[in-house]
Amino acid sequence: MNALAAGFTFEVRLLRRSFDEMMVLVTAPLMTLIFLSITEHAGRTDLAPYAVLAPALIALWTIALFTSGEIIERERQNGSLEPLVATPVAIGGVITGQILAVTLLSLVGFAESWLAAWAVFGIVVPIVHPTAFAAALVATAFAMAGTASVMSSVFVLSRSVRAYQNSLSYPFFVLGGVMVPVALLPEWIEPLSRVVFLSWSADVLRDSLTPEPVTSLVARLGVILALGATGFLVGLVLLRRAVDRLRRTGTIGFA
Amino acid sequence: MRMAEDAVEVRRLRRVFRGRRKSPGVAALDSVDLVIPAGEVHGLLGPNGAGKTTLCKILATVLLPTSGHASVGGHDVVRETAAVRRIIGIVFGGERGLYTRLTARQNLEFWAAMYGLRGRTLRLRVDAMLSQIGLTERADDRVEGFSRGMKQRLHLARGLIGDPQVVLLDEPTTGMDPVAAREFRTLVGELRDDGRTVLLTTHDMAEAEAVCDRVTLIDNGRLLATERPAALSSWISTYSRVDARDVPAERVPQLICELRDIPGVAGVRAIQPSGIRVETDVADAAPQVIRHLLDSGINSVATSTPDLEEVYLHIIGERGLRVSR
Repeated sequence: MNALAAGFTFEVRLLRRSFDEMMVLVTAPLMTLIFLSITEHAGRTDLAPYAVLAPALIALWTIALFTSGEIIERERQNGSLEPLVATPVAIGGVITGQILAVTLLSLVGFAESWLAAWAVFGIVVPIVHPTAFAAALVATAFAMAGTASVMSSVFVLSRSVRAYQNSLSYPFFVLGGVMVPVALLPEWIEPLSRVVFLSWSADVLRDSLTPEPVTSLVARLGVILALGATGFLVGLVLLRRAVDRLRRTGTIGFA
Repeated sequence: MRMAEDAVEVRRLRRVFRGRRKSPGVAALDSVDLVIPAGEVHGLLGPNGAGKTTLCKILATVLLPTSGHASVGGHDVVRETAAVRRIIGIVFGGERGLYTRLTARQNLEFWAAMYGLRGRTLRLRVDAMLSQIGLTERADDRVEGFSRGMKQRLHLARGLIGDPQVVLLDEPTTGMDPVAAREFRTLVGELRDDGRTVLLTTHDMAEAEAVCDRVTLIDNGRLLATERPAALSSWISTYSRVDARDVPAERVPQLICELRDIPGVAGVRAIQPSGIRVETDVADAAPQVIRHLLDSGINSVATSTPDLEEVYLHIIGERGLRVSR
């Protein structure tokens, strides 16, 4: 627990001084405006919740991909992974704390998106089912952090991180149904998308913005949490293997 | 925590760095044996690429050996990493490893937490370390504005924040100014007084002589000798050096021939300006050389005793800056 808290506090302090790591939060409201321009000029005011939610989910995923995903590699390039591994702390706890901090801060994208819609278009997207929305948001953050822990362990062993990162963005925006619900995509995509937590999250979050009751809320939240927990588990195993491999190859301190 | 009698024990340790594909790899350490008793300040002296850092990394559990055995505080560095990590502190050389956008205090708070400190204990420990390395007044400044020497002191504090029993210092004074380097020696003395074991790698001969109880010379991944600094010096007392000055130029060639005939003279050469340098390899050769020079009317004669650097060069050889494979 100490390692988790220490990693969290440390990352918050670091991000306060390195806002460039969260640059996506600058572009997220601009994306909201682009999506809203399209839906408003098409006369589809009913799609406003989609246009507001999508940039926030994209920001969440992008920050996980490019900031959380690079946490271990960042330590390695900074020359601090070596001394970190040499301490008695559970390194998985520290990295998880850092990822949680990044993920929580990336939730600011939701507030930005809502504010941009209101400030520029005067559109207020009501959160009709606030409890469901809040629960989905927490579950989504948890699952995002779990997925990011897999990314960070994989990326530290990769020689072409950028290629991986770029290839993991747009395909997942589609598979995650962040703008277009998976139900509207070709049928063969659905089985694939159902193993991506983002598709469940996007659906629950969108449902909580509509007047109709949110059906099967607990079960759907359970799926999101289970996918997140799987991510954490796989991430920790991969992290252990990655550190062992770096110790074996003697590349733990290489930039 | 009670330390084993030997703080560090290394037996037939070997580490090979493999190249790509079918390249045979490079043996950074080859059949290394080393025992460092608890409480000793031990120097590891060698040129670049000798294997000093590789040994430190294996002892710090961040690098796995290819074969052989290494233990710290009686704990195997491969199988008992958690126990080893609890009793070691490590300082790697260079400027990397600090979080430059954070303050010195924030850096140390993070590392203190990595050693399980928290709350008031953590704060007191961080304050004490900042005071010990003389950075109290800059504690809340970002590290990116620090000089190289200040960063190196912060590295030291980071290595000591966990109150380690065994301290691994890999070229810790790189970049320090002379005053800070002298303070560092005092600090190492304090670590010895506290009963801690220190393994110090360095290029600085004076530093090794000043702070180490024993020094190990290492080159090409092999340990060449382990001795007390004074004993290492005595090894080549037989290799005394005699310098003759103000030798008339026309007499230099003849004198060089005569000196070469004296038993125990290993080498004679002219040095600028107007001098001759004689190297001996037998203990009583130097007095004979001096006597011959005086009898020849050369009155400006000086002998010098070897320092650790000369021992180093004699044993390692004069391969200059070449890094061997």
